Amino acid sequence: MSDNELTGADARAWLLAFADRVVADADELTELDRQAGDGDFGWNIGSALKRARANLDGDDPAAVFQSGSDTFLASGGTSGPLFGLWFGRLGAGPSASWSVPDLAGAFETATGAVRRLGKAEVGHKTMVDAMVPATHALATTGSSHWREALREAAVAARAGAESTSGMVAHRGRASYLGERAREVLDPGAVSIAWFFEAADGI
Amino acid sequence: MSRFFMNERETLVPQALEGLVEAHGGLVEVHTDPLFVTRRTPATGKVALLSGGGSGHEPLHTGFVGTGMLDAAVPGDVFASPTALQVRAALRAVDAGEGTVMVVKNYTGDVLNFSIAAELLAETHRVEQVLVDDDLATQKEDDGGPGRRGTAAVVAVEKVCGAAAEAGAPLSEVRALGQDVVARSATLSVAFEACTNPMTGKRSFELEPGRMEFGVGIHGERGIETRAATEAAALVESLVDPLVASVGIRRGDRVLAIVNGLGATHGLELGVAARETRRVLDGRGVTLARSLVGPYVTSLDMKGLSITLTALTDDLVKLWDAPVRTPALAW
Repeated sequence: MSDNELTGADARAWLLAFADRVVADADELTELDRQAGDGDFGWNIGSALKRARANLDGDDPAAVFQSGSDTFLASGGTSGPLFGLWFGRLGAGPSASWSVPDLAGAFETATGAVRRLGKAEVGHKTMVDAMVPATHALATTGSSHWREALREAAVAARAGAESTSGMVAHRGRASYLGERAREVLDPGAVSIAWFFEAADGI
Repeated sequence: MSRFFMNERETLVPQALEGLVEAHGGLVEVHTDPLFVTRRTPATGKVALLSGGGSGHEPLHTGFVGTGMLDAAVPGDVFASPTALQVRAALRAVDAGEGTVMVVKNYTGDVLNFSIAAELLAETHRVEQVLVDDDLATQKEDDGGPGRRGTAAVVAVEKVCGAAAEAGAPLSEVRALGQDVVARSATLSVAFEACTNPMTGKRSFELEPGRMEFGVGIHGERGIETRAATEAAALVESLVDPLVASVGIRRGDRVLAIVNGLGATHGLELGVAARETRRVLDGRGVTLARSLVGPYVTSLDMKGLSITLTALTDDLVKLWDAPVRTPALAW
């Protein structure tokens, strides 16, 4: 195993950093959801992550993501279960430390599952708008260190999240508001950007 | 205080399931963490059949767990999908090595959570899905929307698939039979009074005296049209005729009719509705070969009824007639 590979401990620290960010800034997500949905998004994902924090464990990244998925799968609504699916499919990745190609492969599988079962594509103003560019960045990076690769993924995810302002929703609750929610960022996409950004600095 | 009979709102569903076991402990068992219901004695060597969805439709689905029908039912909260975690736990519990067919009514939350659960078990379990979307009132040109709702035809699907699985049919055949029943079925519903929200005690909509809501669903939502209430004969005609046309039933065809109470419709009323269904079908030259009459897919205490027609084949008649022993259905 080289330093270039993401270990279970790294993955755990990454998810904890993501949980801290969401818990600290839940109001921001809630406010976005209040403008474009039903206002419970920040609360839902925050409470799932709070409960997940206690259970995060595993020797490799797959096991850690797997341990984080159950509390999302136990949540209602749409975004919670889709987060659970995403983490659950990451949990099907290699049972060892992850090289950058491992990381890219795991996110390819996980993001593909969310697109398929969530019936969402880029441009629909959902979490997929941040997931897909981040996954693409991992697949095409020239970097061989996970930290560098995830930094590129975070930039792509952020740009994807920002692009949801200006989109008219086709899926999720925001689709009922149509044009009225056009300028609002999608809270699901923003939380995906936060997820990749959380890997920086661990 | 709400007129809905319960203790705390949070314990409504699990406490009702405790009661189900009091009445039918020989047939069903309740698992509490996470919540799902299985047969008391698990079946072996057969395809497993699983269904579920929001509560408030009792006896659906928990009342259909038992020999010849479901192996497990996964209840959500009132009118809310069960979680993917519940469905995954139930899928793991019932898989006897021959694979599992999930019967899912077409609602966004149900489809999402059942599909996620199956996806997460894809490496270790064979899981197939039958999507039930029989409600004619929600028929639309394909607009990329959610499609027709799933309602009372789900009983026919669970009965037929359950009988086939019990008889040893393989996974692909059980699924294909389920899809065939869906394709051969359509349902229309009417309500005279909306259902009561357990928390607020308020009805989900109000109807003027002498009016009825045509094309309602099973979640207290309004229908497609408010009409003048008519007597039973004309009302049943207005439900049955579109169904006959929709399922493509011709003179001489045989059908199953499910005359279903939506929660607060009396057995006397359903009896009249069943009689009128026979009369209307006779008039169209259609043979009513089998009838199921009673409150099977309810919408809390909605006062109304639904009629489902399923076009039958010889095989479907045999599977419908096969023995079944569940809390809500037994012959």
